[in-house]
Amino acid sequence: MMIHSQATQSDRLLLRIDRINKAYGGVQALQDVSFDVGRGEVHALCGENGAGKSTLIKLLTGVTRPDSGSLVMNQRALPVGNVRGCEAAGIAVLHQESTAFPDLNAIDNIFVGRELRVAGGLLLARDAMRREAAELLEQLGESIDLTVPLGQLPLAQRQMVSMARAMSCQCQLFIMDEPTASLSAQESQKMLALVKQLKEQGISILYVSHRLEEIFQIADSVTVLRDGQYVATHAVEDLHDRKLIQLMVGRELDELTVRQTVSQSKSDETQKPSTLKVDQLSRQGIFQDVSFSIAPGEIVGMAGLVGAGRSEIARAIFGIDPYDEGTVEVNGQMLPGGSVARAKHVGMAMVPEDRQHEGLVLPMSVQNNLTLANLRDLQDFGWLSQTRERGQAKRLIADLDIRVTDPQLPVETLSGGNQQKVVIGKWLASMPNLLILDEPTRGVDVAAKAQVHRLIRELADEGMATLIISSELSEILTLSDRILVIHQGRIAAEFEGATATQEQLLHAALVGSAS
Amino acid sequence: MTPNSKTETPAFARITTRREFGLAVLIALITIFVSFFDPRFLDAINLRDIIVRCAPTAIVACGMMLVIVTAEIDISVGSLMALTAAAMGIMLSENEWNLSLWIGLPATLMLGTAVGLLTGLLVTVGKVPSIIVTLGLLTALRGFTTLIMGGKNIDGLPPSLQHAAKQGFWGIPLSVWVAACVLVMTLVIIAWTPLGRRIFAFGSSRYAATMCGLSEKPLKLFVFAYTGFLTALATIVDVPRLPTIESGIGLEFELLVVTCVVVGGVSINGGRGTLLGVLLAVVLMTMIRPVLTYLEIGEEAEKWTKAIQGTLIAIAVIGDSLFRRRGRGESRS
Repeated sequence: MMIHSQATQSDRLLLRIDRINKAYGGVQALQDVSFDVGRGEVHALCGENGAGKSTLIKLLTGVTRPDSGSLVMNQRALPVGNVRGCEAAGIAVLHQESTAFPDLNAIDNIFVGRELRVAGGLLLARDAMRREAAELLEQLGESIDLTVPLGQLPLAQRQMVSMARAMSCQCQLFIMDEPTASLSAQESQKMLALVKQLKEQGISILYVSHRLEEIFQIADSVTVLRDGQYVATHAVEDLHDRKLIQLMVGRELDELTVRQTVSQSKSDETQKPSTLKVDQLSRQGIFQDVSFSIAPGEIVGMAGLVGAGRSEIARAIFGIDPYDEGTVEVNGQMLPGGSVARAKHVGMAMVPEDRQHEGLVLPMSVQNNLTLANLRDLQDFGWLSQTRERGQAKRLIADLDIRVTDPQLPVETLSGGNQQKVVIGKWLASMPNLLILDEPTRGVDVAAKAQVHRLIRELADEGMATLIISSELSEILTLSDRILVIHQGRIAAEFEGATATQEQLLHAALVGSAS
Repeated sequence: MTPNSKTETPAFARITTRREFGLAVLIALITIFVSFFDPRFLDAINLRDIIVRCAPTAIVACGMMLVIVTAEIDISVGSLMALTAAAMGIMLSENEWNLSLWIGLPATLMLGTAVGLLTGLLVTVGKVPSIIVTLGLLTALRGFTTLIMGGKNIDGLPPSLQHAAKQGFWGIPLSVWVAACVLVMTLVIIAWTPLGRRIFAFGSSRYAATMCGLSEKPLKLFVFAYTGFLTALATIVDVPRLPTIESGIGLEFELLVVTCVVVGGVSINGGRGTLLGVLLAVVLMTMIRPVLTYLEIGEEAEKWTKAIQGTLIAIAVIGDSLFRRRGRGESRS
């Protein structure tokens, strides 16, 4: 029965991912990744932030093309780099961020790009589309006003419309990227029930999620990626929480040798009044009951998954976003919510996540960027003092070791690491006593990363309180005196920086409690 | 047939919050007020005059609406109107080339379409922002017009064309018939063709459109070429009403058209707007001038027209951004 078993094997195989490589700039997003997805299975794809999951999805859906390797679906090569070609081959996707058109109604959202037509393809088959849309949504157990622009519908319903769109094209492989990330528990259960329903119809599902309990609930097999490389594929029966986390983090846990010893006097310093005191901070639907404090000279790291609410908490503390309840105190002074000006006034500074867009004015010179946040102190009777501006820029460039031949060069000509130093320097110019850093070394090369880390440590040693948000666990572990793990908008666990491990952090971030 | 009533907003509330409703009410109030002041405002001859004045603006606004829905803009239509008018005049005038209508009119339409296509190419292939491209064309096309007209006005258009433009058919000028056809055609494009749907989709979310595999180029080439075509069409049906063709034709026409589209509720951020809203705004903008005349503001009418138009555009844009913000707040994205 050799022949028969071979036949069933090729029958069972839907998608073969074969030695795929993809690099963005100098960063290898995917390296030699190979695995198979079987027909009618729910195949979970796991990995930390930056493991390459999103890149893989983009390749499978034709949004980008691989540098090398092949993607074979139903024994035929996928048309790489062709969104509609991949759709035609039977791949549908539910993206992580909403890919809905907010101004179009549900019908148009489902069909745009592959409209049903009449009159020789000239005109839209409006009635047919309306009927089919209603049918699809009914199958999903959702009743939605088909005439309202999607932007006015609640998120869960928008998600269902995206589902309907994906299902309308008779797909064989349905990729779901964090479909429950923004849904409530009840809505999530409904989504999971739908996944099972799709599976019963023989559709394969490539399911990306950080919620381990979901994976154990619905997946048949699990593939783990780490740093752009394939780690393993296991049947879900052979796995448990801890094993899966270990696969995601990697066996050889980075020993924390880089870590500088926390100065002896730290225990005395904690007796001092804290620089930042956050009490019961809440914002409806975003984060709840966040309380913590940071002492002078202390570095507190905030870990958690993307979307857990870390950046939102930081933005609320700094006054960019409002909050509903709770208080923020800096050096004993209560801050009113929603005022960046007040936050700056009491000595707070923040380096935002997206430095290219929020942190720097790229075409402006290094000098002007460095002094931008501090122009008030450089004025003489309302006129900007060129001499003092130059002096301050010079001092910061020396302090931070920014590699630039001329402070008048536009900042966009610098390397990523140096740009990041300029962003930090810009805020240091105002001599803050509390610095918030959101992803301070994203997209920065290793050498520059070490420099930025050293700089942060030095500043802390001079007495500055620091809050660091990072998705890179090793960075959090290297820098932090104390680590807060955020899970679904709450502080799920707190660790001492000296003793915490990557596994502990990841477990808390994924499961929501300390292991 | 909408399945669920729970998610529906009451129909009345939905209608009253719409831009079209506000515009219709405003037009009605102004009409009632002015006819109370001077009943001659409602005379057929005056209403006919208003409708005739609306026609060219409505024709070009149909194209401009689609351009703005894709989050682009075309501010060269006034100059393009002058250029096509000059070209038409030179080709058809008995004092100039004296060509047949069957050659001159299609050639004029092709000239308008070609300029629109050029704009589209510069925006999509050349990747120059449309505001810059059309700002350049605004000046350049006006310059060409002056050049080819050689400093003199053109008259002597074929009498048949002048007659069609002034008296038209069954007492209604050609421009009104054409405007009606263009409105229907545009409505069909918007509501019944994949092309129209994709134009709105692209304007609504560029990201989502890319993820769906929609391509930008054909959509934008179409909206600019369509606008160019319609501008030439508006020239053909409206300009022959005038005794002579001057190089100043269509001056500030682009401002009027853009104002109508924005006041009509088309979002300058793209993706949203209705043809009905644009049409109502064209009527509102066009009636300001005659209304002021009937209110016997006299000499000052011209100045007031501009001031009121400007104020309306500011109100419309502020209203749009407030609406956007509120919409964001309701549904976290």
